[in-house]
Amino acid sequence: MPPEDTIARIASGRIYGSTEVALAALEDIRAESSRGAREFAEFLREYIPRYLAARPTSIALLNALREFLGAYLESVRRGGTPGGDVPGIIDSIISARRAAKSSIAEIGARRLKEGESIMIHSYSRTVIGIIRRAVEEFGTGLTVYVTESRPIGEGLSAAEELSRLGGRVRVRVIVDSAVRYFMKDVDRVIVGADAVAANGAVVNKIGTSVVALAAKEARVNFYVAAETYKFSFETITGELVPQVVLSEASLIAPPGRMARLMGRAIVRAPVFDVTPAEYIDAIITERGVTAPQAIPLLVRDVYGWPPHVPGIHSLLDEVRTLAGAA
Amino acid sequence: MPAPPDLPGEVLASWEAIRSMKIRGAGRIAREAAAALAGAADAFSGRDAREFLDYMERVAAFMREARPTAVSLPNAISFVMRRLRDARPADVDAGRAIVKAAAREFIEYSSRAVDAIGELGARRLRNGDVVMTHCHSSAAAAVLSEARRAGKINRVYVKETRPRLQGLTAARILGEAGLDVVLIPDSAVRYFMKDVDRVIVGADAVAANGAVVNKIGTSVVALAAKEARVNFYVAAETYKFSPKTIVGELVPIEFRDPAEVAGKGWVADHPGIEVMNPAFDVTPAEYIDAIITERGVMSPYAAPLILLEEYGVRVWGAGVDEGKLHPEEMGRASDT
Repeated sequence: MPPEDTIARIASGRIYGSTEVALAALEDIRAESSRGAREFAEFLREYIPRYLAARPTSIALLNALREFLGAYLESVRRGGTPGGDVPGIIDSIISARRAAKSSIAEIGARRLKEGESIMIHSYSRTVIGIIRRAVEEFGTGLTVYVTESRPIGEGLSAAEELSRLGGRVRVRVIVDSAVRYFMKDVDRVIVGADAVAANGAVVNKIGTSVVALAAKEARVNFYVAAETYKFSFETITGELVPQVVLSEASLIAPPGRMARLMGRAIVRAPVFDVTPAEYIDAIITERGVTAPQAIPLLVRDVYGWPPHVPGIHSLLDEVRTLAGAA
Repeated sequence: MPAPPDLPGEVLASWEAIRSMKIRGAGRIAREAAAALAGAADAFSGRDAREFLDYMERVAAFMREARPTAVSLPNAISFVMRRLRDARPADVDAGRAIVKAAAREFIEYSSRAVDAIGELGARRLRNGDVVMTHCHSSAAAAVLSEARRAGKINRVYVKETRPRLQGLTAARILGEAGLDVVLIPDSAVRYFMKDVDRVIVGADAVAANGAVVNKIGTSVVALAAKEARVNFYVAAETYKFSPKTIVGELVPIEFRDPAEVAGKGWVADHPGIEVMNPAFDVTPAEYIDAIITERGVMSPYAAPLILLEEYGVRVWGAGVDEGKLHPEEMGRASDT
């Protein structure tokens, strides 16, 4: 896909899931790697900030690009060419992510018991992977309540995918406003994450914190399925995960229905919200289930403490310097 | 329920308008039902007073079924029918006059009630308050419009209110009242709650325990308000208080057409997916700071007092005063 199209689709939510966003950007980079080193460096310098700006909350995207740039710089220093090394780098990032997803699916699926009702919010490939594993490999029968997840409404896509898992899964779609109504029928909530912050708070699709609050009120377990590459290293140094608030009227209703309102009302449609750690019973990672408060310990084990992760802009500067020297 | 054969077309039209939600909102449903009874009385062509009473009972029973879950509907009908039954008219003309006068009285009372709620509720708001509302409610809109007129408030967050988007109606009416309206998705309720000072919603029904039945999502707003320590008010006319609940009846929650949520095409294409579309939810009294009625601002826990005063329902002792409730309700009361 041409990078401009990918960026537009990410910004509008047509590419929604945090993992899909990262994969789409990586595939674009692979496609551009047949260029010469200097041109490829220019491409990276121009487009990487634009991918990030299209979904500033997606830490999976930020960390994937960071990992790519680190590995690419290594390759340049060793005298490699984009065409020679980039496809391999991208393959290894993608296969590591696949492995993480598979491992989360296994760990998460063990938490689901026969006959349980669970609720999910938004479209998360990680969460669907957990349900699929539970159903297909453990033979667990489940009822899954799926919220529409407006604006965008990607919950319907999740429902469609789950309905293809066959008769052991009963899929029920509800409006976002009905989360409290149905919470008393639910045994567990599982959602994905765009980012996990240093304080254990989770950034995910708008409405996630509402589901968490309703779950807490009803004493229903609330789980977040998040690979460790969704951890926001920047939050350790005090930065906040950026917010995205859209204002297109079409997010609420078709233009015909909104016409009479024009000039009388503005639309504010935040795309993400923050669920505080106190509402989260556990975060399911590829390395095991952990309390949200213990996330910094997990990060220390994986990356050291404080974690040594270069900023994306310093990596891009280095790309330019090396390309200029070449 | 089959329509009485001699039912005039305008009554059928009212019934259909209420059933299909072309007319919605508890106040409007109640006024429409009262007007339909008056219309039915007008259209009666017989000469026998006994027949007239039977006919009106059938019309009343028919109208009640238009929206079995709307509490204001049976209350409006009881308001009119109680006066007819108590009067025991000697001839059809007298009976007709009683029905029409009672319907007019109810409609005027109901319209004044909304204005009174507007005034009482506006006093509760402070200068500069930012308010959130859910769905469209004439009573809640009256409070907000009055508070705007008084120069107290400027900004109101209006939730879209899926699946039927009644938030668009609220946004238009509040915008016309001069308020700065911010329309937000339902899922953003908690996100914006920290910017809000008060929540005001309407009610479809108020139960004896002070719980409020209102548009699906109301209890989510209440929960988010409680978490953020934002005051949560319900604006409700007293004819929304449900006499049946005091004898243990639950307020039924209506499940509506899946196509309202996902569209006809999608529903047809995905027969393996259930779409659950409850129209209302129940907000417990503990999440409600006050109910604003036309008779004053009160605690939700005072709901039994309203039921006592308005419907003669006694909390202690005999349970239900037989003279004040419709026979159908009495049947349920004695079963309990």
